[in-house]
Amino acid sequence: MHAAVRRLLGALGCALALGAQMSAQASAQAPRAEVIHWWTSGGESAAVREVAQAYRGAGGVWVDTAIAGGDQSRAVTVNRIIGGNPPTAAQFNTSKQFVDIIDEDLLGTVDEVARRDRWDQLLPAPIVGVIKVRGHWYAAPINIHMQTWLWYSKPAFARAGIAREPQSMDELFADLDKLKAAGIIPLAYGGQGWQDSLTFSMVLANLGGRALYLSVIRDRDQAAIRSPAFRRVLLAFKRLQSYVDPASPGRNWNDATALVIRGRAGVQIMGDWAKGEFTAAGQTPGRDYGCMTGLTPDSPYLIQGDVFVFPKTEDAATLRAQRLLAETVARSDVQLAFNRLKGSLPARLDADVSSLDPCARKGMAILRDPQRPLGVSEVYLTPDQNGALQDVLTAYWNTNMPVERAQKSIASALRY
Amino acid sequence: MNHFTGPRRIATPAPDLASDGAAGAPAISDLAPAVSGPVPAPARARCKRLTPARAGVYAFLIAAALFFLLPLYVMIAASFKPMDEIRQGGIFALPHAVTLEPWRQAWSGVCTGAACEGLRSGFWNSVAIAVPSTVLTILLGAVNGYALSFWRPRYANVLFGILMAGAFVPVQVMIYPLVRVLALAGIFGSLPAIVVVHMVFGMPVMTLLFRNYYCNVPQELFQAARIDGGGFWRIFLHVMLPMSLPIIVVAAIMQVTGVWNDYILGLTFAGREHLPMTAQLNNVVTTTTGTRAYNVDMAATILTALVPLTLYFVSGRWFVRGIAAGAVKG
Amino acid sequence: MPFARLRFLPRFFPRIPPRISPQMALLPMALVAIVGYLGAALWTLRISLTSSRTFPSGHFIGLAQYQRLFDNERWLLSLHNLAVYGLLFVAATLVLGCLLAVFIDQQVMGEGLLRTIFLYPYAMSFIATGVVWQWLLTPGDGIEAALRALGWNVHFDWIVSQDMAIHCVVIATVWQAAGLVMALVLAGLRGVDPEIWKAARLDGIPAWRVYLQIVLPMLWPSFATVLLLLATAVAKLFDAVVAMTQGGPGIASEVPAKFIMDHLFLRSNVGLASAGAVVLLLPVLALLAPYAYARSYAQRHREAA
Repeated sequence: MHAAVRRLLGALGCALALGAQMSAQASAQAPRAEVIHWWTSGGESAAVREVAQAYRGAGGVWVDTAIAGGDQSRAVTVNRIIGGNPPTAAQFNTSKQFVDIIDEDLLGTVDEVARRDRWDQLLPAPIVGVIKVRGHWYAAPINIHMQTWLWYSKPAFARAGIAREPQSMDELFADLDKLKAAGIIPLAYGGQGWQDSLTFSMVLANLGGRALYLSVIRDRDQAAIRSPAFRRVLLAFKRLQSYVDPASPGRNWNDATALVIRGRAGVQIMGDWAKGEFTAAGQTPGRDYGCMTGLTPDSPYLIQGDVFVFPKTEDAATLRAQRLLAETVARSDVQLAFNRLKGSLPARLDADVSSLDPCARKGMAILRDPQRPLGVSEVYLTPDQNGALQDVLTAYWNTNMPVERAQKSIASALRY
Repeated sequence: MNHFTGPRRIATPAPDLASDGAAGAPAISDLAPAVSGPVPAPARARCKRLTPARAGVYAFLIAAALFFLLPLYVMIAASFKPMDEIRQGGIFALPHAVTLEPWRQAWSGVCTGAACEGLRSGFWNSVAIAVPSTVLTILLGAVNGYALSFWRPRYANVLFGILMAGAFVPVQVMIYPLVRVLALAGIFGSLPAIVVVHMVFGMPVMTLLFRNYYCNVPQELFQAARIDGGGFWRIFLHVMLPMSLPIIVVAAIMQVTGVWNDYILGLTFAGREHLPMTAQLNNVVTTTTGTRAYNVDMAATILTALVPLTLYFVSGRWFVRGIAAGAVKG
Repeated sequence: MPFARLRFLPRFFPRIPPRISPQMALLPMALVAIVGYLGAALWTLRISLTSSRTFPSGHFIGLAQYQRLFDNERWLLSLHNLAVYGLLFVAATLVLGCLLAVFIDQQVMGEGLLRTIFLYPYAMSFIATGVVWQWLLTPGDGIEAALRALGWNVHFDWIVSQDMAIHCVVIATVWQAAGLVMALVLAGLRGVDPEIWKAARLDGIPAWRVYLQIVLPMLWPSFATVLLLLATAVAKLFDAVVAMTQGGPGIASEVPAKFIMDHLFLRSNVGLASAGAVVLLLPVLALLAPYAYARSYAQRHREAA
């Protein structure tokens, strides 16, 4: 009896101590994360709400600071870091946008989460190259967009008598000619700088191939830029301009997608965010529209994505909140929920995408093939170099610049 | 400092001019000649004859009004259409299926990030920013203009010149230094920070307005006040300020419009709790890769513009009357 | 003595010598001018001599940023556009504003309504009105389509033309600013001595000549202020270009403020942006400095006389 009572008292004491500790922890602050991002449109807002809900479910408090416009949002982030009032986390692209912030030692790392989840094997190589700097992981990726899909209107193709998808650049030009003959706008286009860059990337990847793309964009090899192969790419890029309608300059990308949706235009070269427009108009892939990842079976799959970075802090509570956010974002189910609404792919290669639409499934299969994914230009170039390249491309597209001069200008733009 | 802008100007400022034309520059066609004599002086005509000249005046004004109203029509029409109609094109077409949904969405439903509260949440923030910014900037502008035009301390004109030159610089260039200075002062990301920033950027134009206004006030008035024993602040508070009501209204209108429609400074300096309505408007209208709902965009823009517009409707008379009192002369 | 009561007002502060009060009162202005504007200008000048990217750095590289700036086709085009835009915008706004003011001054019916119609664009922010103007001016849509539907076979594709895109920005910004100019000029007109009109009538001068040769020249101080306000708006032109053409087609409607802004944040090149800002400020200083000197010289002359 004595021993039993003593044991009971011991257990009671333990339970009390445990309870006290638990209540102490509960009364400690729940991790509070203020997140700056630029997901402000309808579908994007719904997507980021999934992440917020998951974070709350994991015990955190999500404070949302949405600022429309990528560069506006990043500018506010940088200014707040400088001003001493940084957010807990901020959205950036998988790019060199935050390389300077890392150099100034203003970003914290997420090494524990990365090592635990083995991000080295779980993420595509171009993404790893951007978020792992000097052995440390500085960002938590959440999604992957592919920039150079070809979207086409099935009714328009039928009217123009195009039986199957083009399998090379020459076939693409032939199909565009058929569309023009049928009185349909061959290429739905929005004449803005970044769209010119995007179209050029598609031509460089599909016509120039993987090797040329890497030597120009990643290595900035002057000889490659001045080569005849690159010249051919530029000429093909300019040739596409003859297939756009006169009202294309300045048009927003979604207005160009609307042309394809209505069947007034045949093809659009745009990233997978265009899928949201088709879905919002009630169209289904395979019946109303088609999606192609490239013209050849081994064309490079150009990826970009969104990541969360974590401004450096000494505060323990903030560090806990950042860690929790990194863990939440890296979860497979959270990534699926986010990407289903956003139209992109999960960053984790092991995510189960069977519940996503056919175009997304197609993309994921290619993503898993280590030979196909390459980064978009901003993965390899600094914002300044990328911008200078875009300036040349947009001038070349819009004026009568001779191709040799374009080659020279690109060479000097990428020299610095 | 010009005292006279024309022959024989009367020494009291702000002549009582009603701004709707009842008494003002009389129409040329019915000025009664001052001479009496064999020619009978015609009575001031009650109704103005429709001469070809007057018809031309009306034609021009109506044509101009149509030009000015065109975008507003497009905006209002678009804000009552569902998105399908907008995608079909035809911006001048009246809506087939009139819907109030964009307006409801813009005010309280549209999602700007993870929060779906529409523009409503930013409204009181904008008010909280606009009121102190306007009051303080006008006060400072009035004091500056008063000191510059009557007292003229040494080097004051140099400072004024620096301000005027600074008015030409795009706002973004000054953001980084201001961020550092405010961070040093410890107020970055708060309501005082955004008020200070608006004061800094509003000071050149406000000072210009008041300085020109006070330059038109005759020197004799000021000297009489000084002889009667007034010091700097007394003359300002008891003589000049009461006389400046028209120009204060003008300055308020310009400053409120500028502050209300600003979003870059609000985003950077106001901190998360005080984001103005225009930041929300920007979130609604500007997206990079998301879908755009143009009808909600238009509704949101009109909603955001309602405050300055109401101010214009209400104080339109005052606006013209204020400048009539000599703000822009000299 | 009209202000005798001033002496008997309660005194809250000890008597400060009149010399110091204005200088103390101008302290905020001095602070803003020196720390704010002058300080920012000097800081910008310093940064333009460095190789700063996202963050300001201390690495001096001399005039290399200026070299790169004037090697940059986009910057040179933006300067050219600013000159073209500036002349057209100021001229059109002045003329339209004056015409509107003069015509409204004729005691027309519905003056209050008309004045509001002309003024309301000033209240609307350009983020969305810019999109509306883009819709209106797009070929195939908007005005061109409407006129074609009425039967006129017109081609109006300025907004997609390399040479004429900036003119479309002129149209939209004149729409926004003409009302303000109208209000300022109208108020000036309302301040004109009625004796002038009587005298002119006596002399039998027709109305348009009265306006052109007597009244409007009397308003030249108003015009000076209006010109100053319009000039600052020209230098800071940014919202309209971004909303309507995004600097396009290509780089055809690029303007300096947009170039600077793009390089400040989007391109993470603070050094180049600062160099652009300094270059933008130079003509302003070049114009203001002699003007200020001439004014102070005339003032001293007048006081000496």
